[in-house]
Amino acid sequence: MEMIEHSSHTDAARRAGGESWLAAFGIMALNSMFGQKDASGVLRMAIEDLLVDDLAVVSSFGADSAVLLHMVCAINPDLPVLFLQTGRHFDQTLAYVKTLSDRLGLTNVQTLVPDSDQLARFDPDADLWKSDPDSCCHIRKTEPLDKALSGFGGWVTGRKRHQTQERGVLSHFELTDDKRIKVNPLAYWDEEDVAAYKKVHNLPEHPLFGSGFTSIGCAPCTSAVTTGEGARAGRWRGLNKTECGIHFDVNKRISPAMAKAELTLFRDGRFVADPWGKWVEGPAPSEARYAHVPLAQFVANRTAYLAGPHPLGLLVGAGDNVEEVASDLSRFSSIAIEFRTFTDGRGYSSARLLVERMGYKGELRAVGDVLVDQIPLMRRCGINAFVVGHAATRKALEQGVQSAIDVFMQPVGVDEIPLGTRCFLRRANHSNS
Amino acid sequence: MYRYDQFDARFVAGRVAQFSDQIERRISGELSEDQFRPLRLMNGLYLQLHAYMLRVAVPYGTMNSAQLRKLAHIARTYDRGYGHFTTRQNIQFNWPRLDDVPQILSELAEVEMHAIQTSGNCIRNVTTDQFAGAAADEIIDPRPVAEIIRQWSSLHPEFTFLPRKFKIAITGAAHDRAAIKFHDIGLMARRNEAGEIGWTVHVGGGMGRTPMVARKLNSFVPHADLLAYLESILRVYNRYGRRDNKYKARIKILVREEGLASFREQVESEFSEVRGGVLSLPEDELNRIKTYFAPPEFKDSDARFDLAALKVSDPEFARFVVHNTHQHARPGYTSVTISLKPVGGVPGDATDTQMDIVADLVERFSFDELRVSHEQNLVLPHVAIGDVRSVYEALCAAGLGEANVGQITDMIVCPGLDYCALANARSIPVAQEISKRFGSAKRQEEIGDLKIKISGCINACGHHHGGHIGILGVEKRGTELYQITVGGDASENAAIGNILGRGITGEEVPDAIERLVEVYLGARSGADESFLNTLSRLGETPFREALYGND
Ligand code: SF4
Ligand code: SF4
Repeated sequence: MEMIEHSSHTDAARRAGGESWLAAFGIMALNSMFGQKDASGVLRMAIEDLLVDDLAVVSSFGADSAVLLHMVCAINPDLPVLFLQTGRHFDQTLAYVKTLSDRLGLTNVQTLVPDSDQLARFDPDADLWKSDPDSCCHIRKTEPLDKALSGFGGWVTGRKRHQTQERGVLSHFELTDDKRIKVNPLAYWDEEDVAAYKKVHNLPEHPLFGSGFTSIGCAPCTSAVTTGEGARAGRWRGLNKTECGIHFDVNKRISPAMAKAELTLFRDGRFVADPWGKWVEGPAPSEARYAHVPLAQFVANRTAYLAGPHPLGLLVGAGDNVEEVASDLSRFSSIAIEFRTFTDGRGYSSARLLVERMGYKGELRAVGDVLVDQIPLMRRCGINAFVVGHAATRKALEQGVQSAIDVFMQPVGVDEIPLGTRCFLRRANHSNS
Repeated sequence: MYRYDQFDARFVAGRVAQFSDQIERRISGELSEDQFRPLRLMNGLYLQLHAYMLRVAVPYGTMNSAQLRKLAHIARTYDRGYGHFTTRQNIQFNWPRLDDVPQILSELAEVEMHAIQTSGNCIRNVTTDQFAGAAADEIIDPRPVAEIIRQWSSLHPEFTFLPRKFKIAITGAAHDRAAIKFHDIGLMARRNEAGEIGWTVHVGGGMGRTPMVARKLNSFVPHADLLAYLESILRVYNRYGRRDNKYKARIKILVREEGLASFREQVESEFSEVRGGVLSLPEDELNRIKTYFAPPEFKDSDARFDLAALKVSDPEFARFVVHNTHQHARPGYTSVTISLKPVGGVPGDATDTQMDIVADLVERFSFDELRVSHEQNLVLPHVAIGDVRSVYEALCAAGLGEANVGQITDMIVCPGLDYCALANARSIPVAQEISKRFGSAKRQEEIGDLKIKISGCINACGHHHGGHIGILGVEKRGTELYQITVGGDASENAAIGNILGRGITGEEVPDAIERLVEVYLGARSGADESFLNTLSRLGETPFREALYGND
């Protein structure tokens, strides 16, 4: 097992497939795609379609970890597996990392270590866990993991609904506050499912499992459970603490299940959670992910953005010339057309040029002052997704707004082509959904 | 004339339903006035000084009797018994209630009319020569092409939120009666060396606070390419027209700031992309539309007016014939203009009763066709010469027999401070005073053709820039004043009038006009030298001095 710092992927060529898939996905849809127990299906989607070369597994190499890692190996044994070496693990756990990696054939286990300066400052005597386990977890787990994950668009966890009350709403795919996708293939698995899987595949157990350790973390904070207790009852026993920090969002809650997340993006006939975040100035082009880069910004750093490893979007402002990015369109998984006020109609021309002249086929979303009365016009110009803030517009879309006008007087867009004997200019509206 | 097919009917019905829903949402408060404004404007609904105003489109100024009767009915039922014909060949109702508007629109739809795009920052109703399809000097009837432009521009999704309104005018005759050079795009038919007919495209004309005569953008665009060419212009304008200042947002400013050559380059580069594509107009499609405008079944005859005899036996009627008829392409026919400028009346207004009477005449004497002219008159385009006397009598009985077309009392006048929220000054009362001053037939006869145009503010809806004499309402320290311009011309020789000097009060206007006319009458080389010719021969000085003395 090698001890390395995580380094981010730069091989842009490997992204190709997932990006185009991503351009067409909605996370709500994802969550309804798989049977509850279809952990392999979820995993395969995440690895092969959704986050190609942009995904890592986070594993504690604890009592149940073998199940998930076994499934991963069946799909791609080279997938990065991140192990948090907190420095407080049982020796048995460290041994198990090796046993399991060898047995399953994992080729890419990466060990994440805490920052030594931080340790020296805050936990010089290695007893922080006693007085302030939250801070201990923060230094030993959250920070190293955050750092490593910044190179990935998403990560796989082994969390399950049955484990704690807070995890009871877990779904297969979640969106975290920093717009990463968290994949929980085992969300709906219970103890019996796990036990059965281990048995069928003859997986080696964690050395401590037989001694009553059903959930295994750091040595100081893990105790055995007795019959009748929950599997995780032995974690931080006596403390009002059930999560170590890596599964909290900034508000110290478990990141919300997607069903409860705010659904602001309307596409394919319904509202879905928007996996794309707000563009912020700052991160290097290679770090940009799931954000719409302003066109001028993109053009000024074209090479770096083109080489970046993560899914990227483009923001076309009202005054921007889309011609400037004509040859870069395949780089974008989503393009946002900004309507600063709904009376500024420049975005309609930009949309038509992108779709009709440059052949862009991905997600084209309207952002800004998007109102129900303009949506039929936007659709005709090729816009296929809408970020909606206006309440009445939202309501109208939820109710399946149909434009009262279902015929066109002029050909616009790629599919409004002349139809046989009709007047060359006009045709019935067949894309009014 | 063009008749709706099922497709048009469905389109307009859909639009009525859509706007009715929007009105409902406005009344319920779901839509704020800010959100409602652009929607209502696109449906011709303005908020004026006292009430809503509904502007109904009369595409390229052509109507039939059923449509005119419907307008009369609407004036009677939902308004105060009259309608106002505008310089855009539309009709406005000044007093509709918001909650009546859906009903009005669905009644209009019954006769294939609507208010779509009569305002708002979109492509407005296409206007044309009121004698289209009738005039003797016509190269081609422009209405089929106007209809095609209407279809192409109706709710065009890309061009519904332009920087500013956009007006297109088209004429098929060499003599321009549609003021095309004062439009954002002006199209004039032309025959090229090969004998094919196409369009000379002018761009960037307009009135308003920065009046400009349109520049020639392309001297020959074939029929087949016309829509692609228009779409290219509109796209360049939509993308690059200024949006930071509403007074600099018209295409004329873009053309001026970019320079004609560079603007042309942009249009050509866009055109090279879209030309030959889906917007190409197939010949048979043009022909299909043309059949709607096929000439009626004329019965040619050698009937003609014996003016010399009429002047003796029937001088009033002779005067009507001289001024209110226009030479028709077919022998035995003429086009009759019905003046909506009775002496002392409100220019452009017609009562419901008058509309009904005109509708009868339209049906009986003009193959069921009526035109609205941009000079705010009505036209019976195809009247057999033998019927003109009957038409004249009926018009006189309805108070519509004014024989002043093209004369000094046939003024274009905007609504001004009596209706318009933007006005600085009244225009209608000023027009009424001028009209009374010059009302006598003899006086008008002596003066000959002279066009006075009046606007109540710099927006120039009364086209004062294009008047031989123009009158512009301005406001100075709380008083309404009027600036006088001379030398404007809205014909093919388009020119913008020059301001003679400081503003004068409303009471002074009739005298001032009188003095200008006196200078002209005293200085012209003969009765056939027009006001404009005399002006260009003498320069403005004598006119200025007549107004202000030598100071
Ligand atoms: S589990 Fe305990 S020892 Fe491990 S990081 Fe958290 S608090 Fe520290
Ligand atoms: S010119 Fe001015 S006053 Fe007259 S109608 Fe136009 S905006 Fe109103």
